[in-house]
Amino acid sequence: MTLTPDKPKAKARKLSMKERYSALTRDLDWDPSYVPADEMFPYTTFEGIKIHDWSKWEDPFRLTVDAYTKYQAEKDRRLYAVLDGFAQSQGHLSLTDASYLNAMKLFLQGVSPLEYQAHRNFAYLSRHLNGPGPRFASLCQSLDEIRHAQTEIHTLSNYNKYYSGFHSYLHMHDRVWYLSVPKSFFDDALSAGPFEFLIAIGFSFEYLLTNLLFVPFMSGASFNGDLPTMTFGFSAQSDESRHMTLGLEAIKFLLEQDPDNVPIVQHWIDKWFWRGYRVTALVAQMLDYMLPRKVMSWKEAFELYFEQQMLGGLFQDLAYYGIKPPRDVGKAIQEKEHLSHQAYWILYQFSHAAAFTTSVPSDETLDWLEEQYPDTFPTYRALWDKEKKNVANGGRHFVRGLPQLCQVCQIPMGFTEADSPFTICQRSVVFEGERYNFCSDGCQNIFEHEPVKFRQAWLPVHQIYQGNCGGADLGDVMQWYGMQPGDGGEYLGSPDHQNWLRWHAQADHSELGED
Amino acid sequence: MTTDTGIDTGIDTGIDTGFNKVIERPEIRSIGAYDFPSRSAQELYGDDQLVHVWYDGNPWFVAAACFRAPKAMSFGDFWAALLVPYHEEDPDWLASWTPADFEWGLDDAPWTPDEGASLASLGVGHKSVIRMVKK
Ligand SMILES: [Fe+2]
Ligand SMILES: [Fe+2]
Ligand SMILES: [Zn+2]
Repeated sequence: MTLTPDKPKAKARKLSMKERYSALTRDLDWDPSYVPADEMFPYTTFEGIKIHDWSKWEDPFRLTVDAYTKYQAEKDRRLYAVLDGFAQSQGHLSLTDASYLNAMKLFLQGVSPLEYQAHRNFAYLSRHLNGPGPRFASLCQSLDEIRHAQTEIHTLSNYNKYYSGFHSYLHMHDRVWYLSVPKSFFDDALSAGPFEFLIAIGFSFEYLLTNLLFVPFMSGASFNGDLPTMTFGFSAQSDESRHMTLGLEAIKFLLEQDPDNVPIVQHWIDKWFWRGYRVTALVAQMLDYMLPRKVMSWKEAFELYFEQQMLGGLFQDLAYYGIKPPRDVGKAIQEKEHLSHQAYWILYQFSHAAAFTTSVPSDETLDWLEEQYPDTFPTYRALWDKEKKNVANGGRHFVRGLPQLCQVCQIPMGFTEADSPFTICQRSVVFEGERYNFCSDGCQNIFEHEPVKFRQAWLPVHQIYQGNCGGADLGDVMQWYGMQPGDGGEYLGSPDHQNWLRWHAQADHSELGED
Repeated sequence: MTTDTGIDTGIDTGIDTGFNKVIERPEIRSIGAYDFPSRSAQELYGDDQLVHVWYDGNPWFVAAACFRAPKAMSFGDFWAALLVPYHEEDPDWLASWTPADFEWGLDDAPWTPDEGASLASLGVGHKSVIRMVKK
């Protein structure tokens, strides 16, 4: 017996993209009848944010699943073609210098794991936000972020065949002292409510600070011959513009829904500007010190991307809602002449416990820094002169012990006072009988709002002293960190440096001609 | 301070920066009971405590040091066993220096450490900041 299928009746009209989007989001949404809405969405009230009408959320990108996957697959194909070509042609030998990869070690250890965490939290939002529009936008971002994590890992894995410091980034991310800075930043957001997360990551990270946090690594790649990372950056760019739009829509939506939301959002902007800005210390030193070929100075980047674009543009618009620029923005502006120098000086003297290397900047770099920072760099240069003498005498400045950490940002407390920019800033408060130390008013202010949260901070130095990091001496801790000999310390003479010299001495460059 | 774009960026953010300021527990917004202990409470270090030493005016050390030291340790022993081995890495440090070569502060107040007295009896608490300035 054969079953004859019904003859298709009139051919169904193909829906337009807009109609399909509407079918996917609005038409698949329903009002719960078996349970009350607050049982179905239990996490969207406790933060004090009031939402009256979720349908007011505008969806600037009306993507559908098929359009999304088709577009991303094309981008991935292009990226993987570049990765294959680069690997086959030994492209790593055409980087500006092996020391450039210190920036990428920091990226893989510090940033790629955050992409994965972003994927997780956006997946949570795609279930737990009440509105179908923001749920679908979160789903798309969740997929973007796991693709970012995967493609970054694939992109950088090629370097792991030839260079140190790339091998145990996930293990390190959860344990190593400088990686606790980005990790604790993101853990803070993950353990907040959905609206705070939207302001922390959707708005502050993806919109306010993205050009200071993410983009500089990609520009550094393009200036230093790292074609794979640059291609990854391009492939992420179109996602990032969606993420920026989501962040901006989130803040506008919250501000428009109820005037009571304004002070809550203002505090989150104050908090997450400062949290994110402190993480940019790692980027600032990368731009000014780690890149063999410079893109722009931290100060220039800060002025262009933050002062002009954000303070001059975005915050003028947000003033309409009664939102003021972040509380501690004045300190960040004052610090633009100091941040990178202080951050690199931290990493330089603790790099024996890191999975990247550091070195005294070349004279060319010192001169460039002095041009970029004529008012402040001469003071920092005097330190490098002292260290050069120290090195000539057989020394190398590695600190013989552990530094004081800020309870909030977890960075060794090397930042200084606004009115006395070469004096360390020391702040502390006492909460329920215990003293806590901070690097700045910004970090102190964050603690004062959430002391019960921040007193649980896993501070690497304190954990080492409690015996939770493999043992009492440095070797034990390094082993527990997953470090191998040659991962950290001084660049000159390191395995990466020696290999680089050997490969280039061996290589036949006759096809490149003279010059 | 005002930027080119006319935005007031006053650095005085109005926070009370008193070093020993005691803060109250603010209201907590959470999905359930939220009360967890400090991950660095003094009890976690037995008879020891964490002590910070800030060599103010010497940028060689980018941040203050953090030591774990017995509360009963004398200041003289603290100087010889912890403070000097850390700081003598500075090429300008002289082996002849003694505590008398420095001015001292403790948690933002002037302080005169007696070498024979214990850290605890000198008022050094868990996560206190000892400040030293070369005379
Ligand atoms: Fe991403
Ligand atoms: Fe993103
Ligand atoms: Zn801090």
